[in-house]
Amino acid sequence: MHVAPPGNVATEEAFARPAPPLTLAALSLALGEGNLTGHRALNRPIGLLAVLALIVGACTSPAASVSPSSPPASQPGATPGASQASQPPAGGFEEFVPDPAMLAAAKDEGTVTTIALPHDWCNYGPREGWTEPNVIDTFKERTGLAVNELDPNAGSGDEVEAIRANKDNPGPTAPDVIDVGLSFGPLAKGEGLLAQHKVATWDTIPDSAKDADGFWWGDYYGVLAFEVNKSVVANVPQDWSDLLKPEYKGQVALAGDPRTSNQAIQTVYAAALANGGSLDDAQPGLDFFKQLNDSGNLNPTIANASTVAAGETPITIRWTYNALASRDAAAASGLEIEVVVPKSGRFAGVYVQAISKFAPHPNAAKLWQEFLYSDEGQNLWLAGYCHPIRYENLVAENKVPQEALAKLPDVAGAVFPSLDQLNKATKLITENWDKAVGANIGG
Amino acid sequence: MSGTGTQAPFGPLGVMRSWLQSGRAAGSRRRGIGSIWAWLIFIAGGLYFILPLVGTYLFSTRPRPDPFLAYRQVLADDGFLGGLLYSFVAGLVTIFISLLIIVPTAYWVRLRLPRARPIVEFVTLMPFVVPPIVLAFGLIRIYGGGSPIIVLAATDLGLNILLVAAYVILSFPYMYRAVDTGLAAIDVRTLTEAAQSMGSGWGRILLQVIFPNLRTALLSGAFLTLAIVIGEYTIAQVLARTQAFGPYLSLLGRSSQPFQPAAVSLISFGLTWIAMVAIALLGRGSRQRVQVAGAR
Amino acid sequence: MTELTATRERGVPSARPAPRRFGWAWLGLVPFFLFATAFMFLPVAFLVVGSLHDGTGALTLANYADLSTGVIPGAFMNSIEISLVTAIAGGIFGLLLAWSVVLGGLPRVLRAALMTFSGVASNFAGVPLAIAFIFTLGLNGFVTVWLRDFGIQIYPGFRLTTKLGLELVYLYFQFPLMILIIAPALEGLRREWREAAENMGASSAQYWRHVALPILLPSILGTMILLFGNSFGAQATAYQLTGGTLNIVTLVISSQIRGDVLHNPGLGYAVAMGMVGIMALSIFFYSILQRRSERWLKA
Repeated sequence: MHVAPPGNVATEEAFARPAPPLTLAALSLALGEGNLTGHRALNRPIGLLAVLALIVGACTSPAASVSPSSPPASQPGATPGASQASQPPAGGFEEFVPDPAMLAAAKDEGTVTTIALPHDWCNYGPREGWTEPNVIDTFKERTGLAVNELDPNAGSGDEVEAIRANKDNPGPTAPDVIDVGLSFGPLAKGEGLLAQHKVATWDTIPDSAKDADGFWWGDYYGVLAFEVNKSVVANVPQDWSDLLKPEYKGQVALAGDPRTSNQAIQTVYAAALANGGSLDDAQPGLDFFKQLNDSGNLNPTIANASTVAAGETPITIRWTYNALASRDAAAASGLEIEVVVPKSGRFAGVYVQAISKFAPHPNAAKLWQEFLYSDEGQNLWLAGYCHPIRYENLVAENKVPQEALAKLPDVAGAVFPSLDQLNKATKLITENWDKAVGANIGG
Repeated sequence: MSGTGTQAPFGPLGVMRSWLQSGRAAGSRRRGIGSIWAWLIFIAGGLYFILPLVGTYLFSTRPRPDPFLAYRQVLADDGFLGGLLYSFVAGLVTIFISLLIIVPTAYWVRLRLPRARPIVEFVTLMPFVVPPIVLAFGLIRIYGGGSPIIVLAATDLGLNILLVAAYVILSFPYMYRAVDTGLAAIDVRTLTEAAQSMGSGWGRILLQVIFPNLRTALLSGAFLTLAIVIGEYTIAQVLARTQAFGPYLSLLGRSSQPFQPAAVSLISFGLTWIAMVAIALLGRGSRQRVQVAGAR
Repeated sequence: MTELTATRERGVPSARPAPRRFGWAWLGLVPFFLFATAFMFLPVAFLVVGSLHDGTGALTLANYADLSTGVIPGAFMNSIEISLVTAIAGGIFGLLLAWSVVLGGLPRVLRAALMTFSGVASNFAGVPLAIAFIFTLGLNGFVTVWLRDFGIQIYPGFRLTTKLGLELVYLYFQFPLMILIIAPALEGLRREWREAAENMGASSAQYWRHVALPILLPSILGTMILLFGNSFGAQATAYQLTGGTLNIVTLVISSQIRGDVLHNPGLGYAVAMGMVGIMALSIFFYSILQRRSERWLKA
């Protein structure tokens, strides 16, 4: 089953060495690799395109690369975003080129098994009305590997349990990589469920958002925003305090249960920041929601795209990237949704990536991570309105196309909690939510 | 039961005779007031059932400028029809196996082992209280690599088998209750003894005497089973059967698409209904035998 | 031999304990128990094991002790209440509906329509169901809006997101279940019995009281238990509709073993064991009730 015996740190460290900077040499390597392995049809156009990208000046946007539905790469001019190539260079990135040795090892495995990657979450996968390249399809294109997607809606608990239950089972039900809430990184590491790996761009990930030993590392973040159905709400609320206005009776909702969902808990945390609390003091958030509930403005329905559209939860608080994806999808149906990032309480919610120690495809898993943390992978997340963890680094190195930057929500001033702070706040919120909003009394 | 509450006082014996002889049609026509109650109840129930569907329809056609955009999108999606097909097939296999296990069991309990009834009932109700996620991961633990019994969770075929097995378990509460109620309504013992006196073996008794007499009950069980299989998603997801319909539906329900989930649930409601009618029509074939075999 | 046993069983009231507890007849249940063991008991065996371990893998009873803490007792109460209410309401109205199409003299086509519809509706649950009711009776549901146009404000007096609202929604899958299961029993009521009763001068009420109900009661009670379990095990509908404000058992379990945050699987498993216990208890009470009711109806 496993190609590499688990715990072979030496091999893993070997893979963890920084990949060579993208040069023409590397590109020709990629081309050669394509010829050798007989994946010409797949790799050559990609390689050619990469060369083209270099010639153009390493400044094309992701739209310039081949999207799965677009015509063959021989006519790049016909692809939707190609016109940008002629625009003045204003930030751009190069395509991901896999390390040949790693690619070869991954190809022997053939597949990477992912879990909990909703397609409209951070541009992970193909979805209705979205023509730009997405993470999963681009990965398939760059590497020729298949992606086996397990439950896209799985919670972090499910993901960790999937690793545990499949310890001895290398079948299609075993995840290779996971994408979990921040606190689950240390938890899974502690249980010995994770493999060590440091992606090539490891050093550009902020220290606060990664495990020093390389067991888990942060992937992206957003802040909490108001997703507002404008056909129901005339005056769009601009800040947390606005939500208390009597005109929003029964209209404010969360996208999860504040006792169990990361997103909902961090909504309360964010409300704390906006109401005199701090990263060390989440109580004002609970007080705020108590007020919201007492005033009748809080609607206990768990909001989703349909409830927002139906006017049941016309003001929904959720991650910027979810709200914006929702806005785009609604626009296609003639429904106007406005996304407001409140001025205060900009709380950055971080998720983390990790590789399962029992991954049936350990090399494919590493390749997947290398791809995600390459400039291209990071920019693909960014195109889905997520701030990739290397965001500061990318901007500093001018690796984000201007156009993509312009589409990103304004999250200036977002604050990051430490793991300790987050755990304390989570405990406080989950344990006191019932009291705050008087759960179990309704009816 | 107020339904048949007021009745004309019974007439002389002669009238009774004529009722007896006039059979079904007359039997249903004679209760004028009962019928009004029946209509009232039926209409109230019908409204309760229909209104949420109307609400879903009205919502699903809200997109502008094309009110049927969501429907077009759904029908153009391979995942939709493929998923439905996969789940229908899984449903039919599940129904078959479930019938094979439950009918003999329920029959046996009624005929020979009434003492076992509480135990059997408890076991059949277990699926309600076992969280599906626990069952799904448990199946992987037992039938995954290094399984003490047989490795099923490593291949697609094995996982399909596990999925159907889990669905058979989920169908137990419904199937058992349906079959048992059906058995209660017929005189199992007399039927069995009559068949035995004519020299039938157990297999024949079950197939030719008991099954045909349980037509409605078996159909109920089959409907319920098919409906579970079409809608289930937790176990299918954990067993990596993402091509099934349940995962498709649940995925859409949590996506950023506002109108598609409503369209999908209506389309699948309609298609499942059609499937039920088809099963009911298929089940009709045995009706003739009901009258022959029935002890009525 | 088979015939002999059948006759003996027939002559002996089932209450009498048999001399041999594990007679040959038990062999007839082997396929059922084998299948249940292979695909249910074995896979969920670690539910029991897991409920006895803490996060570090040490043996403990703490999870069971924790059942009486925090939101868990309230969650059990809520679950039991909702399940009881919807089992009884669903049972009664489902019975009436089944009666209306089976015995009420409605056109036969309505019966076929209702039965097949019930098949679909019985599993129309979870998010699609919750959303369907939101479209209908939610804040801006079409019935809500329509009534508002007539000057009838159902909000805020009524709210879909309360326990009452949730129960109303649950009935959407409870009625059909009752209809499907009880219809064959209603069909089994022989015309001759009714006519014989009428012959003897019995009123309709007397017929139902002394003939039909005693025959139906075991099936009705049995189906209500099924309805109870059906509602007890439901989760997604409640989560979607009442998310952050109503605790029910399945949500507690789910949050402990699946969610992003709490993750104390041992406690989740212990809660699930609690559900198993309540199911066992309810079947126990139902057996007593059934025996009592038989006696009462015979008297």
